[in-house]
Amino acid sequence: MLMMSGLGMAREFFGLARQASTNADLVQALACVSSNMGFDYFALTHHVDFASAGHAAVRLHNYPDDWVAWFDARRLGVSDPVHRASQATSIGFTWQQVPELIRLTTNDRHVLQCARERGIGDGFTVPAHVPGEATGSCSFAVAPGRCVLVDILPLAQLAGAFAFEAARRINGMRSLNTHAPTLTERQRDCVLWMARGKTDWEIARILGLSQETVTQHLKQARERYDVPKRSVLAVRALFDGLISFSDIFRR
Amino acid sequence: MYLTTLSGAEGVSDGLLATMFEARKRIFVDLLGWDVPVVAGRFEVDQFDDPHAVYLILSDESGQHLGSARLLETDRPHILDTLFPELCENAVPTGPTIREITRFSLDPRQNARQRRHVRDTLVFALADHALANGVEVYTGVAGISWLQQILAFGWQCEPLGLLRENGRTLLGALRIAITPETPTLLARAGLVCEPCVPSQPIRCAA
Repeated sequence: MLMMSGLGMAREFFGLARQASTNADLVQALACVSSNMGFDYFALTHHVDFASAGHAAVRLHNYPDDWVAWFDARRLGVSDPVHRASQATSIGFTWQQVPELIRLTTNDRHVLQCARERGIGDGFTVPAHVPGEATGSCSFAVAPGRCVLVDILPLAQLAGAFAFEAARRINGMRSLNTHAPTLTERQRDCVLWMARGKTDWEIARILGLSQETVTQHLKQARERYDVPKRSVLAVRALFDGLISFSDIFRR
Repeated sequence: MYLTTLSGAEGVSDGLLATMFEARKRIFVDLLGWDVPVVAGRFEVDQFDDPHAVYLILSDESGQHLGSARLLETDRPHILDTLFPELCENAVPTGPTIREITRFSLDPRQNARQRRHVRDTLVFALADHALANGVEVYTGVAGISWLQQILAFGWQCEPLGLLRENGRTLLGALRIAITPETPTLLARAGLVCEPCVPSQPIRCAA
């Protein structure tokens, strides 16, 4: 039984993660640290639909091919219960804790059952939330019948956070945000009030503009983002950190 | 944006410091619910806000606090060695070239984009301050969400120990190496430094 009290076996990993210059380097480092921590698998991923083309998203793993094919065929990148649960917390969780974080549907239970049938038992997932980027996570898992060692979890949490950061650096995820469209202050104000549920007329009264001007601002904001609908505009502005949840809900 | 570097020796009588202590109360007490002392119901001031503390403060043209950070000398009592030594697996890093970053704060009255600009600019200001003053290492204690953001700034970080539960979050301690390359690393990570005017605090002649 492995007993952990310090950074010990992962100390080398932090250095390797920092120096990794390719995904192959990082995969090698992750394989080594996950096995040292008593895990059979690792999976570092952005939570996007990998079956849809053109995504510059990262996924590094050593899961069985069978499971990955099954997962992608069902486009689970965004709806997988573990991925959804990781939106609900910033602290790592074991998969047994998932029902405490999100309400599981019948389909979710089916997904977890299918994972077990394809060789993946329990696991531990470290969420990674960086404002303005697709959310992601780094998971470590064991084969069915094996146990996740509780003592190792603090180390796995830290390893996951550093691994995700290395993946962002290597894959240039950071530059995404600099290419995002920008809105004028007025457009942004209008988007914020729209996201709070106000009508154009109400926004006009709040900001001291004419209703036509507000409508025009929101139309131009949609054009800058190249999105057809206002709801999509609000989500994009949130995603880019142009507005935040706390802006929307602040009284 | 204006950047002011002040030492705690100026005392609360300095207008900008007072604005910062008020902002810290809004952020750490009102918003984040930290159990830290509040002076006169308005100022968040603790035992480390002493004449040895150094503050980097970003403000707007009207003197409003936008963001700030406090630097503590590590060969004197500081947060890591006084409150959270268990976050370091080995000895707490101390010495004349090591400072601890504490109370990194962004004024919540700004929107998300403004906060991001202030955050980025403050991180660059910290790197510049270190390079100009012979500081080679920053240490700091952070909750897990903030820790992930600190890593994402792209500078050279390593953990000082394992994360530990503290209330509803996990706390960890980081060591951040500052080298002449640091500003390049920050820029490469997508941080953008806003132009800011270094401002010398104006003193009344006695």
